[in-house]
Amino acid sequence: MKANIVEIKRFAVHDGDGIRTTVFFKGCPLKCLWCHNPETLSQKWQLAFYSHKCVMCGKCAEVCACHAFSENIHRIDRTKCTTCGKCVNVCPQSALEIFGTEMSTDEICTTLLRDKDFYAESGGGITLSGGECLLQSGACCKILKRMKQNGINTAVDTCGFVPRTAIDKVMPYTDTFLYDIKAIDEDVHIKCTGQSNKIILDNLVYLDSCGAKSEIRIPYVSKYNDEQIPKIAEFLSTLKNVVRVRVLPYHNYAESKYNALNIKNTLPMILPTKEEMEKTKTILSSYGLI
Amino acid sequence: MFNHDRKFIENKYHKTDEPFNPYARMAYHGYGYDKSTGLEDEEIRDGLAKLYEKTKDLPHPVAKAYAVKYVLENTKIDINEHDFFVGFWSVNRLAKCITQDKWYDEVFDNILPGLKEKMHDMNESGAIAIWPDFDHVVPDWDSILKLGFSGLKKRAEEYKELHRNNNTLTAETEAFFDGIIIEYTAIIDLIDRLYKYALTKTHPKAKKVTECLYHIRDGAPQNIYEAMQVIYIYFMISECFDSYQVRSLGNGLDNTLYSFYQNDLKNGIYTREDIKELLRYFLMQWSAIGNYWGQPFYMGGTNIDGSTKYNDLSYDILDVYDELGIYNPKIQVKINENTPDKILFKVFDMIRRGKNCFACCCEPGMMKAIMSYGATYEEALNMDIRGCYEAGVRANEVVTGTGYVNALKSVEYVFSNGFDSRIGKQLGLKTDELKGLNTFEDFYIAVLKQWENLIEMTIDVSKQYEKYLSFINPSNMYSATIEGALKKGTDAYQSAVKFNNSAILNCGFASFVDAVMAVKKFVYDKKVVSIQTLAEALNKNWSGFEDLHTQILKSPHKYGNDDAETNRYAEAMSAYFASKVNNRPNARGGVYKAIMHSAMQFVWQGEKTGATPDGRHAGEEISKNASPSVGMDKNGVTALINSAIKTKPYNYIEAHCLDVMLHPSAVSGDEGLEIMKSLLFMYMKNGAQTVQFNVFNTETLRDAQKHPDKYKNLQVRVCGWNVLWNNLSEKEQNAYITRAENIK
Repeated sequence: MKANIVEIKRFAVHDGDGIRTTVFFKGCPLKCLWCHNPETLSQKWQLAFYSHKCVMCGKCAEVCACHAFSENIHRIDRTKCTTCGKCVNVCPQSALEIFGTEMSTDEICTTLLRDKDFYAESGGGITLSGGECLLQSGACCKILKRMKQNGINTAVDTCGFVPRTAIDKVMPYTDTFLYDIKAIDEDVHIKCTGQSNKIILDNLVYLDSCGAKSEIRIPYVSKYNDEQIPKIAEFLSTLKNVVRVRVLPYHNYAESKYNALNIKNTLPMILPTKEEMEKTKTILSSYGLI
Repeated sequence: MFNHDRKFIENKYHKTDEPFNPYARMAYHGYGYDKSTGLEDEEIRDGLAKLYEKTKDLPHPVAKAYAVKYVLENTKIDINEHDFFVGFWSVNRLAKCITQDKWYDEVFDNILPGLKEKMHDMNESGAIAIWPDFDHVVPDWDSILKLGFSGLKKRAEEYKELHRNNNTLTAETEAFFDGIIIEYTAIIDLIDRLYKYALTKTHPKAKKVTECLYHIRDGAPQNIYEAMQVIYIYFMISECFDSYQVRSLGNGLDNTLYSFYQNDLKNGIYTREDIKELLRYFLMQWSAIGNYWGQPFYMGGTNIDGSTKYNDLSYDILDVYDELGIYNPKIQVKINENTPDKILFKVFDMIRRGKNCFACCCEPGMMKAIMSYGATYEEALNMDIRGCYEAGVRANEVVTGTGYVNALKSVEYVFSNGFDSRIGKQLGLKTDELKGLNTFEDFYIAVLKQWENLIEMTIDVSKQYEKYLSFINPSNMYSATIEGALKKGTDAYQSAVKFNNSAILNCGFASFVDAVMAVKKFVYDKKVVSIQTLAEALNKNWSGFEDLHTQILKSPHKYGNDDAETNRYAEAMSAYFASKVNNRPNARGGVYKAIMHSAMQFVWQGEKTGATPDGRHAGEEISKNASPSVGMDKNGVTALINSAIKTKPYNYIEAHCLDVMLHPSAVSGDEGLEIMKSLLFMYMKNGAQTVQFNVFNTETLRDAQKHPDKYKNLQVRVCGWNVLWNNLSEKEQNAYITRAENIK
């Protein structure tokens, strides 16, 4: 079975406990304004161009008509790009990159298993992330099952906006769900992500009722979802199997990726302050969540 | 008090605000010494020249002892109001000019004609760096601190009598003992001179220093301060007067000093805070010397019952070191599963805060390495860590760093059929013309033959001169500490101990693997280019072959990426080198030991190496240690460690080191310390010897901004997203640097 992914990241230390390998799947049903992995949004493969690295050598134009150089500007006709990757191969500056690759679940598992001893030593394991990995729940299920057969800890990083069947498929083989909660109020959620949160909240309640362990991740974005924190805390306090709650303060370091992909940069301008983060912590701890 | 004195000690041997060449430590002096305490160096040189007329026909140990004695008698000395440790003026190996220098010429000009030119060619070509080495042993500190200088002298006298009584006191044996006795008498006389000079001082430290000198002149040190003073005096005289580097302070500084520490605390001699204050003065001495390679000492280890050797003093040493903010001396920490988290995490935390003076030395792999050539389990447990991170049997192993074999040169020689264009001579083998290398196997066999030839050349040449090591530079001071040498009645460098070994270094290993893989893939597997065309590209330093160069740099078949095929070749080539070196007999009754380590040769030999198929340009550095070529490991640190495991570190029975680079964001917080521990422990359980962590600090990130090529694999990762450093715009990089500055 094939999976559409962006990359497999080894030595991942922020996607669950210990040392992990994370598979970033391609494609996401949400469009969060603050998305820091914009290369995973579309299911389609994409060409990225890091203009600051380009030295205008013209090698790419020699192998592909999508690239043109005029008036000291490197122009790319993305409408004609088939993401064949020829230009990437000849670029001496690594200024070009294709986001997206197809790998069989067997190939993915082979890579994941290479760091088995590190997982064992550190209490780590593997994480399926994205994008939204559960859009490809069949591939996820195959990978997770194989990992459990090898005694490896598994985590699924999900936005929750997926069919219940996808959740049911992976639940038996998933040790922890890394579950994003962005807002409780539906209108806020729609404004921030383009979608209703009803399915998301329902799925989390369902997972919890099934006894599935979850680590809740709340991106904190000033002026967008900051007022949601007390409501999120209240909601989470009703759940029984939440093992950890993490607040992820928004950073705007992904800007270069938006530019490289030539997609509209929706990143908010304001960064959360220390005081805001302290306040959030206080709220969450008042609900016994941290 | 220390803070007040710190500035003086920092300037003790060279002024911190004046230009300083860290490679030329022996060229510096103290400042403002009392002229009445001795002669100027020029006067000492004149005196030595006169002395030479009297000593030139004496046996070398005796002649050297007289030369050292003359310098010790005449060098200016200092007992300073800002220092608890004594000062010497002539720290520049003056005695050498009438001893070692002359005897070196005698060996290489008269006894072994032709060898000098051969060694010159080996060094100049960049293929093999080779010279007689006197700089990789550790004295038996336990005997020094137990006996003191006078006790060591007395022991030598007793052994001399024993040999006389046993009728084993030949002229040579007698000279060996006399050299020791004369030199130690001179050391004791020097301490007496220091003592008498201290008596004339009235500053607040004088009383304590005087009392200390009085004790250590006549016997063993009685407290921890006196023990430190003995270590310092032994170190300075050995390195600066007797011409032998002291490659560790203490047999584990924390263990060597521990009995004094316990005793002083118990008897109320010193409080723990007093001892910390003394440690500040003590450690700062080496920071002040400030030579490029630094001065190492190791800590910790494991007792026979499995418990750790780390103790309260270990913590105090680390605390003081951390507080001083110095980068020298450097510290090797012995690591095992019993190492307390408190030690590990302190070390890791210091590393990630940029106080990166540590080499993490894994006991299991190093013990396995040592036992493979006959050391007992106990000897392996008590091993010394010497120099950078080499292992050796304490007080019973004399190892030399013999030859540095540049693996990349064997690739260069396949392309040139053994001709070295740098020196204009045939230094390699004639393996075949390029057109004869029809298959990868042909090429690979040719490379291995060239490599083997370099190893054989190193062994052949070193065998010829290594039997003359004690002839060139008798180790009077060192041998006196080694009881085995006294028992045998010969210099420790003359097959006097249980293990008399010579190390051969595998330099440029990753570049070598990458080069072979590039030829395999591009010439033979994918047939992108013919071997002749590749040769042309290399001759032209890739100029006009930029596309090929790009393709080769982008190839995934690079050591350090856990690529299955590359791993197989790395494993085979690593084993090849080790098998050609390990346990081959040397000229001193010992064996050769393979070592995966490059010292500075990754730069120096790189400068002498032309363009190579791995994509290196001519003159660029070659890979160092067991580490990947710069910027070529792109799959993260776990992939790197998996690759390194394939080289079977424990097969490098002298040493094996991997440099691991981490970003602060990957190792921040308490979780980060656990991550570092897991990386180290996983590797340790799979045969690791030494790991050097590098956690980039903001300065490094700034450098990465200026030189992105050097940091191709550097990743920035915050809360679930990751990006290559080089893919960030300057603005974002600046933001990250600002963020990195906040990491404490």
